[in-house]
Parts: sequence; structure tokens; C-alpha cells
Amino acid sequence: MADKMDVDAVNGEKSQETVGPAPDLPAERIITNNFHLINQAVQAFDARFTLRALRNISTIRKAPNFPEAIAIAIRTAFPKPTNNARRVLETMLPEQYKNVQNGETGDGLKDPDIVEVAEVWAYLGVLVQVYLYDTKQYKKGAQFSDNFVEKVRSFNRRTMDSIGAKAYFYYALFHENLDPKPPSKQSPAIAIRPTLLAALRSAVLRKDAETQSAVTVLLLRNYISTADITQADLLVAQTHFPASAANNQVCRYLYYLGRIRAIQLAYTQAHAHLESATRKSPTTGPAAGFYQQATKLLIVVELLMGDIPTRTLFRQPALEAALYPYFKLVQAVRVGDLDAYLKCVSANEAQFRQDGTYTLTLRLRQNVIKTGVRMLSLSYSRISLRDICTRLNISSEESAEYITAKAIRDGVIEASLDHQQGHLVTTPAKDAYSTTEPSEAFHMRIEALLGMRDECVMAMRYPMNKHRQEIAEAAKARERERELAKEIIEGEGDEEGDEGQFEGM
Amino acid sequence: MAEHEAKQIASKLESLKGPQLQQAPQLLARAKLALLHLNALVPSEETHKNHLQLATVILEQGALISIRLKDTESFTRYYQQLQPFYAIEGSHWQRPRAQSNQSKITGLYLLLLLSVGDYAGFHTVLEGLEMSAGRETMEKNPFLQYPVRLEQALMEGSYDKVWGETKGERVPSEEFAVFSEVLINTIRSEIASCSERAYPSLPISNAKNLLFLDSEGAVVQFANARGWVAREGRIYFPQQEEEALAAERDVMSASGMVISNTLGYARKLETIV
Repeated sequence: MADKMDVDAVNGEKSQETVGPAPDLPAERIITNNFHLINQAVQAFDARFTLRALRNISTIRKAPNFPEAIAIAIRTAFPKPTNNARRVLETMLPEQYKNVQNGETGDGLKDPDIVEVAEVWAYLGVLVQVYLYDTKQYKKGAQFSDNFVEKVRSFNRRTMDSIGAKAYFYYALFHENLDPKPPSKQSPAIAIRPTLLAALRSAVLRKDAETQSAVTVLLLRNYISTADITQADLLVAQTHFPASAANNQVCRYLYYLGRIRAIQLAYTQAHAHLESATRKSPTTGPAAGFYQQATKLLIVVELLMGDIPTRTLFRQPALEAALYPYFKLVQAVRVGDLDAYLKCVSANEAQFRQDGTYTLTLRLRQNVIKTGVRMLSLSYSRISLRDICTRLNISSEESAEYITAKAIRDGVIEASLDHQQGHLVTTPAKDAYSTTEPSEAFHMRIEALLGMRDECVMAMRYPMNKHRQEIAEAAKARERERELAKEIIEGEGDEEGDEGQFEGM
Repeated sequence: MAEHEAKQIASKLESLKGPQLQQAPQLLARAKLALLHLNALVPSEETHKNHLQLATVILEQGALISIRLKDTESFTRYYQQLQPFYAIEGSHWQRPRAQSNQSKITGLYLLLLLSVGDYAGFHTVLEGLEMSAGRETMEKNPFLQYPVRLEQALMEGSYDKVWGETKGERVPSEEFAVFSEVLINTIRSEIASCSERAYPSLPISNAKNLLFLDSEGAVVQFANARGWVAREGRIYFPQQEEEALAAERDVMSASGMVISNTLGYARKLETIV
């Protein structure tokens, strides 16, 4: 069940493909610019600058001179070659870059603003991790990450949170790629669980929502990859996922949660989670891979619940090719054709296994039969059990009798059995609008939309100190109004009443 | 010394039959103590290879014996204790016949989950097995296939298949037969509840076949136990469930809910506008 999700896809940050100037700059310039951003972040205690700095990791890692750029950046940040921090980072880079002289970008050297801040070191560490991962040096990367996350955790600086979250991400990723890979029980991924749990504990104590969400997601991924579903379930039950987490982490969390619930046969819950995951996830760019995976799981869960996914789902351009085997599966289930279903499953077995949905698709067998029975009961007012046998490819009449009896009890069809003559007699359908069913359906949708609206309102972000300025301006505006009112009362000038500039609402 | 004792008990356990099963719990207790002395009850890095093997054999015997004694709780406990042993990679130490025992015990555990109706647990364990064992092992192994087939048949609703499986020849080994009785009771109640909804009435002879009962007297007994009415050689199922359901859906009686829903909408709308 190891999700070989494309790393770039899971990376999640929206890549700035349309931003103008960034791609033209050489990688070193970008990195040194980011130093400024990070410094700003530390001074203003505002996380958004760090996020911006982290965002263009995906562009610079594709630059051909990436390791060189990192080496130059390290030199710029820590001019003294004997600096311990600098040495730790440099040992990770290949030999030829260690002695690069940065004569060309000399003006960057003299920049006094680049202070030796711990966050800068952490940022460079993350870049080194990215480089090691891209060059597939998993063992080296795993070792480096071990020490790196230990150091980051000991720092306990709030401004380093987003960088730390990324560090943990690569840490987990390195260990996942070491042999023997999961789902083997000997995988080194199991060994990192205690570290991740400790990180989760400190993150919660320090109220570090970013690391908390990132580490929770990594732990869930770890448990699911070795099929330790009970442990994953316990983790979810005992921990609280921070509400202020980034959207990407929320999407991942919902996906893993949906997966756990699907295995535990709680299909309605799984469906709700997966639907939110697909709705919140970005659908283009590198995140398309995640969207595909989430949609695949969503389709299977919908089938297991007994609903047929709409065809428009399969028509979306990003999904069409990836979802083709699932399209075939849906067709087979919709008609209730057991043969086609079995053929489809055996033909696409490899693909299903890779997606981790194979065991779930096996459970669909009873759904195919149920749908078949339902189709028959809809089309016939009276049908003999023998005919049901032939239509549904059931082995014996007795089985057909039991299966239809069970279908009736489960509420799949409204019918009764006539045992003497061996017939299934359908009762005519009741008028649905005379019951409360429509109003219940409407109620659910209204609740969902209202909930979404509440979430949006709560998620709106206001800059931190702005509201104080707002109060000051509002006070000033009130003063002006009072004076104007006085003047208007005293004099009779036809000045326009300046209502003051009220912000926002 | 403790090792010797443990080996002795292990061989004695394997040769236990029928009436001697009652002595088994005490023997097992002594064996577990011996294992503790060897630090082998819970596997760790320092445990010697032979001790691991010994511990596995003893715990497996314990599991199988508790099944024969119909003690489900202790069987579950032995199973949980065996899990860390199974997680150790096979190449670390040779397990001669234990391979078959492992799948046997796992199959028994799956069957236990089925018989109490814990489908979520069943699928979770199955998921783990697919992960670690792979498809070929799953398919060829009769001990594992048996509960999988049973679960499929149960979910489909083809209870005659279940009935067929629990009969003599299809059962892989005698321990599985212990569960047959429980399973038959389960499916009997399932069929009964299905029949209540599906048939307006049934002649008693047909009911006898449907419910896999042996005589008409047993049918009448069963019917009375479930609250059905047996008259003139036919069984009549209670009909009031249908009307109760219909009444629920009636719009008039649900007016309370409609009112509270609408009030909620009005309140929310006011905050929006």
C-alpha cells in the first residue's frame, strides 16, 4: 500500500508558474533573496515571509546548478569557513562544490543585511535535503536528516516552524525509501516512529500548529504504509488535528483519515472525508497526482456505499487517463454484471494494488450482486428465482433465494418472496414526495453549505496589527465627524459630510 | 535449566489429546514462566534464536489448545502475544513446521472475528495479511482461504454456501470445526431476520429446509423463540414493523423536525445577510 505518490505532487505548494521575474534569476540570487525574506519574517514575527521563501524551492531545485547554488549561498550566509554550522551543511554536498570561489556574485558577499540567523541555517539545511533527495542519496540523506531534525527540535523557535515542518517531511521521506521498503515489517520507516511521536509531543506543547499537522500526517502515512491500521486509528482518536493547519496538510490528513475509515468499513465517514479532501485540494500543477489518488479512493468508496459516481467526474481532463480502469469498474458495477466485474478486477490488478485500492475493490463483489438484484426487481414485477440465477450467474436457486431475502432485509429492494412458486414479487414503489425524504436531502445539503460558509468566514485572515490601526483610524474618523457635525450645526456651509474612511466592512 | 523445562513442556503439549486437555492450562502457565526466565516471552534484540523458536511453539500450542477448550479470550491473548514473533523476518531464524501453524492460527483468529460479527476487525487483519504475505500465499493457503470464502458468502447472503463450508469435509482442520456451531447459529438468526421481511408466510416444512433445522418440532421452537406465530402448518411473520416505518415517514408527524430545521435556516440566514 505504499503510495508512490509523486513527491512533487505531494509537495502541494502552488508553483508560481505565472510569476514573472523569478525564473530569470539564477538560483543563487533566489536563495540569497530568500535570506532577506527570512530575516523579515523573524523581525516581524510573521510566518508569511517564510512561506514565500519556501515556496520557490520547487523552482530552484530544477535549476541545473542547484548544488553549486547551495554552496555559494552557504558561503554567503556564513562567511567564516570554520563555522561549525557551515561545515555540517557542506559535508553533504559533492566535492567539487566545496571549493567554489564565488567571485562572480561578489556583491552578494558584502551585503550587511544577511545576518547569521538560525532560520537561515535551517532553510539551507532543507535545501540540502531537497538536493540529496533529488539525487537519490537516500542513505546519506537519512543520516543527515536524523541529526538535522534533532537540531531543529532543540531550537524551539516559533519562526522556524514552517521550515521545521519541511525538514520532518524530508526526514520521513528518506527513511521510507531505504530498503527494505514498506510494507515490509522490517522497514526502517518503523524506526522513525518514536522520533515522530516525540516531535508531535513537543509540537503540541509548544503550540506549534505547523509541525503538529505535518508530523501527524507523516505518522499516519507511516502507519498506513505498513498496514498498522489499528495504530493509525488510535493516533487519530487520541490526538487533535489543529484547525489552523495549512490547507495542504488538511487535505492530506483527510485523505489518510478517509483511507482508514474505508478499511474499517465506515463508508459514510470515509466518503465525507474524501469528498472534503478532493474539494480542498488544488487540481492543477504538481498537486494533480494527489487529486487523482484522492478521487480514485473516493470512487471506490462511493461504489461500496452503493452510489454510482457521476460520469462528469471521469470527464475532467486532469483525471481522464488515470481513472480509466475505475471507469470500467463503475460500468460493471452499475449494470450488475458479475462477469465484467471479475474481468475488470483481474485485468487491472496491478494498477489497483499500486493505488492501494485492490482489497477494497474485492469487496465490491456483493455490491455487484446487489445492484443486479435491484435492476431485476425494478424491471420485473414478478420473476422466478431460476431466472434470477441465470441472469446474475449465481450457482444455485437456493443461493438466489437467500441472496434476495438478504437484499430485501437490507432495504436494497422492496419486494417479497413467494416460496411455493419460487418467485420474487416486487411491491410497487411508493411516492417519494409524500414522505420526508426530499426535505431530509435538502436539509443535509443546506447544512453542508452553511458549514462551508462558516469555515470560510473563520478562515479569513486579517494582518496582525492592522486592527489596531483600524481602531485608531476609526477614532480619528469619529473625531472628524463630530467636528463636522458641530460646524454644520453652527454654520450653514454646504460642505459635503466627509464620513471618514472606514476600513473593511 | 529453564530452557530444558520449556522444551519438555512443549513436547508434552504437542502430544496432548482429548481428556488430558484439562491439564493444559497449568502446563502452559509453567511454560510461560520458563520463557520469562529466558527473557523470551517478548521478543527483543538479545533473545537467542532457539529461544524465539521455543517461545513461538509454546505460544502456538497454547493458542490451539484454548481453541479446543473453547476459551476465546485466552486465544485472543495468545494471538496478540504471537504477533511480535510473526513480525520478525523469517530469515533470522528457521521455522520448520511453524509456517503452517502461523497461517492456521491467523485463519482461526479471522474466523473468530467473523463469528462475533466484527467485520471491521476482520478486514483490518486481512489488509495486514495482504500487505505482508502477498496474493499467492493467500490464495494457496487453505487455512486463510476458508475464512475469506466464508466472509464472501456471508456478505453476499448465500447462506447455503456457508452451510456447505461448515460441513465435514470442507473444513481445513478440527479446530475450525469448533467454530462451525457458532457460525451456524449466526447464519440461522440472519436467515430468520431476512425471512421475516421477505416472506408473508411460510409452510413449516419449507422453513425447516431454509433454516437448516432437523425437525418440525425444532422449527416451532425456534419460531416461538423469535416471536413468530405458528398456525395450521404455516408460520406467519409479524407485520407491524412495516406500518411503524411508514408512520415515521409520514410528513405530518415529522412536522416538529421540519419546524426546527426551518427555524435554524432563518437564524443562519440572518447572520449572513
